[in-house]
Amino acid sequence: MNHLTPSEIIDLVEGTLDVSRAAHADRCGRCREAAADVRLMLEITAPQADPGENDVPEPSPLFWDQLSARVRSAVSQEPAPPREWMMWRPAFAAVAGVLVLVTAVGTLMLRGAADRPGVPPTPASAVAVNATIEARSDVTLDTNPEVWEVLTAAAADLELDAARDAGMSVQPAAIDGAVHRLNTDELNELGRLLQSEMKRAGN
Amino acid sequence: MPTRAWTWISETKPVNTLTVTNPTDSDLVAAAREGSHAAFDAIVERHRRHVYQLCYRFVGNHEDASDLTQDVFIRAYRALRSFKGDAALSTWLYRIAVNVSLNKVGAKTPRPEPLDALLRANDGRIASADESASDAVLREERAARVRAAIARLPKKQRATLILRVYHELPHEQIAGILGSSVGAVKANFFHALNNLRKLLA
Repeated sequence: MNHLTPSEIIDLVEGTLDVSRAAHADRCGRCREAAADVRLMLEITAPQADPGENDVPEPSPLFWDQLSARVRSAVSQEPAPPREWMMWRPAFAAVAGVLVLVTAVGTLMLRGAADRPGVPPTPASAVAVNATIEARSDVTLDTNPEVWEVLTAAAADLELDAARDAGMSVQPAAIDGAVHRLNTDELNELGRLLQSEMKRAGN
Repeated sequence: MPTRAWTWISETKPVNTLTVTNPTDSDLVAAAREGSHAAFDAIVERHRRHVYQLCYRFVGNHEDASDLTQDVFIRAYRALRSFKGDAALSTWLYRIAVNVSLNKVGAKTPRPEPLDALLRANDGRIASADESASDAVLREERAARVRAAIARLPKKQRATLILRVYHELPHEQIAGILGSSVGAVKANFFHALNNLRKLLA
């Protein structure tokens, strides 16, 4: 039979070894000797051999309050532990960015569809969006047809009303806000990024 | 959902104006996370002795043990958010204490006296209350040599032996502190005792 492993010898000394394995030690001088060595070292290292003896000297009674005061002072100079929601700030920022992107692309798609002949009537929810875009005299996407084409292609599968039916909340006010926040340069940059991503995905 | 006030009565002094008695460690952690310094004070008060003793057993002197204990609690405060409550707070604090202590200590120690002398002294041991002054000195010298030998053990074996022999923690909790399996902890304990025997021979 195999000799006891180091882990089993500890179990043997502590009286938790399985009976069948413990029986091996009764017949095996090598395992008995290993267990005896462990018992001996435990006796030597044991701090409780004498009642009241402690290997760690008890500090002055004043020490504990002084220690607490030192910790308190150090902690008071630390920033408070971050709240749960603060740990999600990066994720919130990323989600917010994606929402702005989707909203802007969807809005531009609706505008493009409204401008093209033979396109079905624009959903009611997009009317206000289009009005917002019309109010943006500074938006000159028409001067850059390539960007417009990219944005339209990226948003080809986006249907705001379908998204709403699926339970996603897309508020007209939010769309207005997003559109208002994007200037011409930002829209052009958005188109450039999308174009770049689409090219990369096509490789 | 009713609002719960994070208040309690400290063993030694009232903290804030709260009235929740005997808060659990989880209660205190939750309150400290919400910014209650009083709750963190209570955590320190509750665990400082064991943390100090653990640090002392690694470094062997009061000054370093005191500094390390302070460091342990400051690190714990900074990392409070990462404490998920999967393990006991004491296990988490011990884990921090072991890490900062092992980072602090070196391996240079005086050579311990031979094992034979230790055994002879052990056989003749008498109760502390009755022993002579010279016996007490000898006993302390022997204890110092054992501590010095323990300090020469590999780090994980040293930590395992200290936690098991001096803090009497179960193998399962030691495994949680050291991030090992229970089997590995027992094997480390065995090797620690074996190496200690060789160091004292």
